[in-house]
Amino acid sequence: MVALVVVVVLVVLLLAVLVAGLLRSHADILKALHDLGVGVGEPTDTPDHDHQAAAAAHPVPVPFTMGPQLPPERDSSSAPTIAGVTPDGDALAVAPAGSGGLTLLSFLSTGCSSCAGFWESYRDQRKLGLSPGTRLVVVTKGPDREIPAEVAGLAAPGLAVVMSSDAWTDYEVPGSPFFVLVDGATGRRIGEGVANHFRQVAELVRRAEVDATPFAAGTRDDRDVGLDGPARESANDRELMEAGILPGDPSLYPTSLEDLYGPPDARMPSATRHVTSAG
Amino acid sequence: MATLQAHGIAAGLPGGFEGRIFKRLGTGPEMPFAVAHFATFALPDEVGDFGGGAVTLMGNNDIFASLFEYGPGSAGAQLFARQGMPRDLSTTQFLPYVLRRGLTGQSGTQWFFTEAGRPFTLYVVLGSHARRAALVPRVNGLLAGLTIHPAPQSVPVGVPWN
Repeated sequence: MVALVVVVVLVVLLLAVLVAGLLRSHADILKALHDLGVGVGEPTDTPDHDHQAAAAAHPVPVPFTMGPQLPPERDSSSAPTIAGVTPDGDALAVAPAGSGGLTLLSFLSTGCSSCAGFWESYRDQRKLGLSPGTRLVVVTKGPDREIPAEVAGLAAPGLAVVMSSDAWTDYEVPGSPFFVLVDGATGRRIGEGVANHFRQVAELVRRAEVDATPFAAGTRDDRDVGLDGPARESANDRELMEAGILPGDPSLYPTSLEDLYGPPDARMPSATRHVTSAG
Repeated sequence: MATLQAHGIAAGLPGGFEGRIFKRLGTGPEMPFAVAHFATFALPDEVGDFGGGAVTLMGNNDIFASLFEYGPGSAGAQLFARQGMPRDLSTTQFLPYVLRRGLTGQSGTQWFFTEAGRPFTLYVVLGSHARRAALVPRVNGLLAGLTIHPAPQSVPVGVPWN
């Protein structure tokens, strides 16, 4: 019986020590938070504004490290040369800004699950939907972060792969997969972002190619003017019929501005001015 | 400045240049040695040792350069008697008929030499001979950044094929 009492007393003493330690630790945390200016309540009698003034007079050092500054010739849309090694140990440098055409940089990793689909897509580049003038370059982190043999196992033969951690810094890549489209003619990045499937990337590249095509390039003779003459009229008739507008439809014979643009209240002011001046 | 280094060759690339330093895969008893390609245009995936498949893509303001290593058996041959790679070429050293593939308007120059005990040939093509006065200084800028080190020890001795 005495032994049991002794054991119980010892357990109670041990628990008391633990609780005291926890309370002390909690108090230290609250005090540290208060010193940083984010404390709740007031552990001392010092008024809050006095304490803040004291904290301002004695600022608490907070660890803060700035990354290396970009060289002055680089900015958020520049496209610096990517230099690194290939998975085979060769050296490779790609200069998207000097290529003349479009370069699609595909920043991938070996470990990210969402990158796997892209590695697989690149096994048959003919099915990617990129025009022949668009170059595809895969950029992984350097051998300090990636295992070259794993990259080589994922990279299809003939796929340009550069392993360069510096490139991820230069292009401010937030994570993988990430894509950057560079216009070699201007030497600038014209698009960047993430995607789940390559067809999304291909569509963005296609739009960029259309945008890059000069609107009035060439002469009237060598431009693709599309349909003309009877073929154009037949195509117009076919599209109208598919839209349910048959010969004799009242919409084909407007008699007033309301027929064309609706009631005056619904018209855009600029449209009204345009019609008035044109009329 | 982008820097490349592989197979005992280092290159500090001037702006606008891209490059590749590689060895072709051996397909038999042949032994491949280092090849370095540099260009001011997008290098295709497959380029011949002396620019086949690339020089046809050149514009008037473009430059292509190939640094091609021969096997150690060629070291000491009269052809490679010159010591050191030329790094200060002049416009008169580029000639329209010094081309592996004669393309109208282009010109080239080729040099055989030994550096760091390794026999090489340097072959440079200008996209436009008429613009050589502007292009040759850029070539010299590229050559100034090239460094050739002694052959890496891991290279085994075999039958040279190039």
